[in-house]
Order: sequence, then structure tokens, then C-alpha cells
Amino acid sequence: MKRNPLILFFIAAVVAAMLFAGIRIARNNRANGSAKGQLIGNVAPNFVLQTLDGKNLKLSDLRGKAVLLNFWATYCGPCKIEMPWFVELQKEYGPQGFQIVGVANDDASAEDIAKFAKEMGINYPILIGKDSVSDRYNVSVLPTTFFLDRDGKLIAREFGLVSRSVFVDHIKKAMSQGQAVQAQK
Amino acid sequence: MKVFLASALLLFSAWAWAQDDFGPQGPAVKMATAPVLTAVQGKPDTISLQFRVASGYHINSNQPKSEFLIPTVLKVEATTDIVIGKTTYPEGQDMSFAFAPDEKLNVYTGDFIIDVLVRPLHSVQPGKYVVRGTLKYQACDNAACYPPKQLPVSFDVKIAKAPPAPVQNPAQSPHAH
Repeated sequence: MKRNPLILFFIAAVVAAMLFAGIRIARNNRANGSAKGQLIGNVAPNFVLQTLDGKNLKLSDLRGKAVLLNFWATYCGPCKIEMPWFVELQKEYGPQGFQIVGVANDDASAEDIAKFAKEMGINYPILIGKDSVSDRYNVSVLPTTFFLDRDGKLIAREFGLVSRSVFVDHIKKAMSQGQAVQAQK
Repeated sequence: MKVFLASALLLFSAWAWAQDDFGPQGPAVKMATAPVLTAVQGKPDTISLQFRVASGYHINSNQPKSEFLIPTVLKVEATTDIVIGKTTYPEGQDMSFAFAPDEKLNVYTGDFIIDVLVRPLHSVQPGKYVVRGTLKYQACDNAACYPPKQLPVSFDVKIAKAPPAPVQNPAQSPHAH
């Protein structure tokens, strides 16, 4: 049986395209945290990090509140856009059992981070990040923001700058899920 | 046979292209192969190192406008007999980005060149030397930033022997006749 060389070449071209696409998709998934399945839907990895005023904050101590966990850095321009939104959102939803926590994933000194936070008028705790924490959350780009429901379960994650309305949607969903503080006590 | 070879080449090209990690999943900055700098013992010379920022990304210039931004800095390790002199950075471009349309950042995009002054000592042996260093940069795109990275940098310096100093005639004492 004689094979048509053009058909053979066409098959090779299709296989080449699939190979290229497959490798690129696999790489992107890995870079974007292929652990999406491992993180989202599960209880957020717990940690204890120091706040800018030297106190320890344990993530699991916030159970009962919906939490927005924002990884950021002083050198990150897009992070600066979100921060004024977070200040407003903390004011608006804080009384309903919502807490924003910023994690500075930065080489800058605590003094510089504090200065930056002051300039931005931050009204929520800023923690000094550690690689061990950002690794557990697969943070490879900044900003990266996670949303925890009242039971501490991760319900959503956003990479990079997204619109304010996306944050509002996730916050409302996070507040509607899990046991509120009032219900526990 | 020709079709088989063409198909094999196509498959290999697809694999090789897919491996290219240029972009913040890999490095956002790449260095072009540097030309070999041919320098003479004892004489300073300049090498131009060319870098390329991946399309869609920017890095801060050497003189960013905010104290919180991380400047691009080239650090070259001096060798015993080759002194590294002044590093000259290009001026950045003032650009605004979608995440901060009212703010201008001083950045490098696309291709940029950093000049490095190299001064071989008189005592350096003629031959080929490898000079190494790192380019520290921090990249962002329109919606996100990436942690600072260090790109290994290297270039070759070929040292040639200095020409022999011109022989001077000994001073002649005046003769009185």
C-alpha cells in the first residue's frame, strides 16, 4: 500500500501543532499553580506571620470571618491599584464579618513596607511574608489574591490585577459560605 | 524519504519552540551572545552587552522614579588581571501602563544595551578570558509583577600583547668643536 506523502506531511503538521500546544499549556498550568485543584475547595494552608507592629497573626484565628488574602509587594504597580479598593472594601464589609489580610512578599525592609502601607492608608493587617508561605500558596506573580469562606476554605483565587467588581463578587460569595463568628459563640 | 525527513524536522521544531521559555514563566530578559572583546594589555576598552525584554513585559530602568521600585543593575565580577570599570546604562523610556495610566514609569522594553568598561592590566597574559556577572531585574506586564530575578551574564575578552614601546635614541651630548 502506497502512502500519499502529502497526507503523511499533513499528519506530521497536526501532531507538531498538538505537541507545541500541549507543552505550552502544561508549562502555563504549572507556572500558574497547577495546584488549583489542590488549593481551591480545601481549607487554606495555615500560617503564622508577623504583622508590621510585631504581633503574630495566625490565619486560622480568623475562622468565622470571610477573608481576602492578598499577596503583594512594594515594587508591584498593579498591587498599588488594588489597595485603595481594599481599604474601601474593608470599611464596607468589615462590620459584616469580613477581613482583608495583606502579605508583603517583598525583599524590602519592614520599615519600608510600613512606610508604603502608611502612604497607601492601609486599614487592614499587613504581614511580613515568607517564602515558605508563598510557596504553599503557589504564588508566582503579584498580586495574587485568595478568598476564604468563614470556615477557612479557599473558594477563589485571582492572579494579577482584576476589576473591583470581581473582588466584590468573591467577597459576597465568601461571606455567604461557612459558619459566621456569631453562630459559633 | 524527503517527506519523512521534513515531518521529523517539523516535529522537532515544534518541540524546540515549545521549550522556549522566554517570558516570565522563564526569564523575562535574555542576553544576546556578546561579541568577543579584543583588548590590548594595559589599554581600556568598552564592550556593549545587548539584552532583550520579552514582548509584553517591561523592567525598571537603572534609575526608576520611585524608591520602592527595583532598578536594573549589572554586576560584573572582576578577575585578577582584568579590571571592570564604569557600567553605562541606557536611559529608560517614560511610559504609562494600563494599571496606572496617570503615572509614568522609567522602564526598559524590547532591546537595550549596557556598556561595560574593561581595563586589562599590563601584567595580564595574552589569551582568552571569560568575564562573568549577573543582571538583576524585576519585570511586570500590564496586570502583574514577577519577583526579582538574576540573569547570568558572561562575555569573552581576548587579550593581545601590547606593541613594543618605540625605541628611543639615546640623547646625544653636544660636542663642542
